[in-house]
Amino acid sequence: MSNVPPGKEAVTVQGLWKIFNQGLANEVIALSDVSLTVASGEFISLIGPSGCGKSTLLRVVGDLTEVTRGDVKVAGVDPHEARTQQLYGIAFQQAALFDWRSVQKNVELPLELLGWNKQQRSNRAMELLEMVQLADFANHRPWELSGGMQQRVAIARSLAVDPPLLLMDEPFGALDEMTRERMQNELLRICQETQKTIIFVTHSIPEAVYLSDRVIVMSPRPGRITGVVNINLGARNGDIRETDSFYSSVIAVREALRGRPVNEADSRVGEV
Amino acid sequence: MTKKLNFNLIWPPVLIAALFLGTWQFIVVANDIQPYLLPAPSMIADIFTSDISLMWSAAFYTGTTAFLGLLFGTILGLTMALIAQRLVVVNKLITPLAAGLATVPIIALTPILNNMFNITSRTPRVLVTMIIVLFPMFVNVTRGLLQVQPVQLELMRSLNSKPRMTLKVLRIPNAIPFFFTGLKIAAPLAVIAALVAEYFGGPQEGLGSRIASAAANTAYGRAWAYVVASIITGLVFYLIVIALEKWTTPWTGRSRST
Repeated sequence: MSNVPPGKEAVTVQGLWKIFNQGLANEVIALSDVSLTVASGEFISLIGPSGCGKSTLLRVVGDLTEVTRGDVKVAGVDPHEARTQQLYGIAFQQAALFDWRSVQKNVELPLELLGWNKQQRSNRAMELLEMVQLADFANHRPWELSGGMQQRVAIARSLAVDPPLLLMDEPFGALDEMTRERMQNELLRICQETQKTIIFVTHSIPEAVYLSDRVIVMSPRPGRITGVVNINLGARNGDIRETDSFYSSVIAVREALRGRPVNEADSRVGEV
Repeated sequence: MTKKLNFNLIWPPVLIAALFLGTWQFIVVANDIQPYLLPAPSMIADIFTSDISLMWSAAFYTGTTAFLGLLFGTILGLTMALIAQRLVVVNKLITPLAAGLATVPIIALTPILNNMFNITSRTPRVLVTMIIVLFPMFVNVTRGLLQVQPVQLELMRSLNSKPRMTLKVLRIPNAIPFFFTGLKIAAPLAVIAALVAEYFGGPQEGLGSRIASAAANTAYGRAWAYVVASIITGLVFYLIVIALEKWTTPWTGRSRST
């Protein structure tokens, strides 16, 4: 279903099933027969209504929940090994910062667990805080920061060990629209600087279109992939949001969410 | 800003206390109430100030008992909480036991402990205080260790953190505000327990013994003066806990927890 060249796969998912409470009365099929390949350096979004399993898929890749059936590989190894080697960073809808630590110490947390020494940790944290433009706030406490700033700290933390893969579960879901657009540009800039592979869960169509190379459309009961929309907008900037090609991509994703077949030609209108 | 805030916080209780004492004084004087029924605040204050060294030594004795009980009770409560957070089975076993212990009345417990341990020593009183302190400390700290945001636990898992590391980096810091909530309940309770434990014989230099003997000799003014000393002792304990909390956990009470 994808045309990722061999050897360039960052994540591969083959025939994945995830069933909660299997065999019990409250059994739920969260994911049914999901297959997906993500190329190295690619930005993909998972989009769909609540209960479509997009967060579950992300959690399976991150080894935060077990696979029921099927095969998942992250950077060529199974998710458990990927997690123990810290091959991915993760950011959630809640920033999940520790109030008792300064901003800098929050970013240092993953490095602390890997046993880096104080000087190395501090250097790396400052480098990342520069990148998310929060160096001036290194010694502040998380609760002194706005929601958007807290989320930037969380992103800096997810990048701390320089993992090749970034998993993001609606990281901008709790932010207001203006902050959200700023954060999207920020994220794209960071992506360009660091060449990460990103799997991004969202339920905002414009957000998915603006950020992604590919949008994976999912549908509930049972959770499955129902469409893939390729986005070909070229280099992103704020103006793109007002172009016809942006609109046609938004429409393509919307149609796919409604269960209509994706017209490849439509989604390629804006191809330069 | 902070000064103004403190000022506003201090005035209302001071005003109410002054009104209360004024009314009390007025009623006693106006109705010519005899001291053995209700001594006037002025009389209590007189005895308190003239016997200040006795007040101080009694408060120091009972305060020491309360402090030791608080210390050992806290250590035991923390140890139990650390075990309970790791082992669900233990948690289910200990919690009802601790709750049961908390409902044992001091007046039933003290005579028994006086018989088991040396009645002329401080030991039975410290033990009573310890038992009283144990429950609020155990319950609050256990909650603090367990009530961690699920997303923070997922983060720790994504970072391949072992349970011991998660305890150190996440659970224990998370429990510190809960620890102080427990301590704020336990500290004044410790003073009350230490005081009441003195009612059942043994050394006579504490506040509880002094109140009992003054009352037995119908020296009600003196008994009330010792009550004032007890209140001050309890308040000092409470204020020390508040100060410790402010100093160690500046992040508590912040509404925007992530």
